[in-house]
Amino acid sequence: MIGDVTTTTLHAALAGLAQRSRVTADNIANVQTPGFLAGRTDFESSLRTELRQGKAPTVSGGSIARSLEPTREDGNNVNLDSETVIATETGLRYQLALNALDGKYGLLRSALRTA
Amino acid sequence: MFDSLDISGSGLSVHRRWMDAVSDNIANINTVSSSDGEAFKERMVVAQAVDYGSGEGGVRIAGAEFGSGEGRLVHEPDHPLADDEGYVRYPDIDLGDQMTQLMMAQRGYQANLASVERATTAYQAALQLGKG
Repeated sequence: MIGDVTTTTLHAALAGLAQRSRVTADNIANVQTPGFLAGRTDFESSLRTELRQGKAPTVSGGSIARSLEPTREDGNNVNLDSETVIATETGLRYQLALNALDGKYGLLRSALRTA
Repeated sequence: MFDSLDISGSGLSVHRRWMDAVSDNIANINTVSSSDGEAFKERMVVAQAVDYGSGEGGVRIAGAEFGSGEGRLVHEPDHPLADDEGYVRYPDIDLGDQMTQLMMAQRGYQANLASVERATTAYQAALQLGKG
């Protein structure tokens, strides 16, 4: 009841988004490091597959791949503009998932009170 | 626990050290040595990704590289360090190059600082969970 699919899905989303913000922070920290390739996080595709198959999602944080975008002269391909956009979007989506989880917990709390 | 903050912190530290190195180079841009010694050598920090490939790590200073100590000979016969022919050695550091590096280090520092602020907002929101 408390650990149902909604809660687990939101938990998986939060873990994935947290991982993405870590990877973005890593990309920005290495914005001037020669030879560094930007990391990209994907948790949505596995989450979608699991939900479609009717399974309870696994909370893993997703997988990280290296960006194949063209590199600069120093072998680095971190683009500060796109990292900023990703970081802002990830932050907002994190808050959205938190609000949804909060709403779910609120629902459970009122159910517990009326009992 | 608060990994994003550590990662951005490592970025801040590396860019800070880079700014320090550039300041040191600029501070010594007119440091004179005698013609039989070496000129002040430009210091360049080498950044390296920590634990590259795992996606969580940040960045660190792998070491420092030094520029040439050859410098350039300048004719200043009145200088106390001047040799018999009146020459002293100045470092061959380009101020324009140093200023460009200073700007890059400063912008990198600011980008990491913005990361810290974003991570703080997310963590603070997470700490409010279940209070409503």
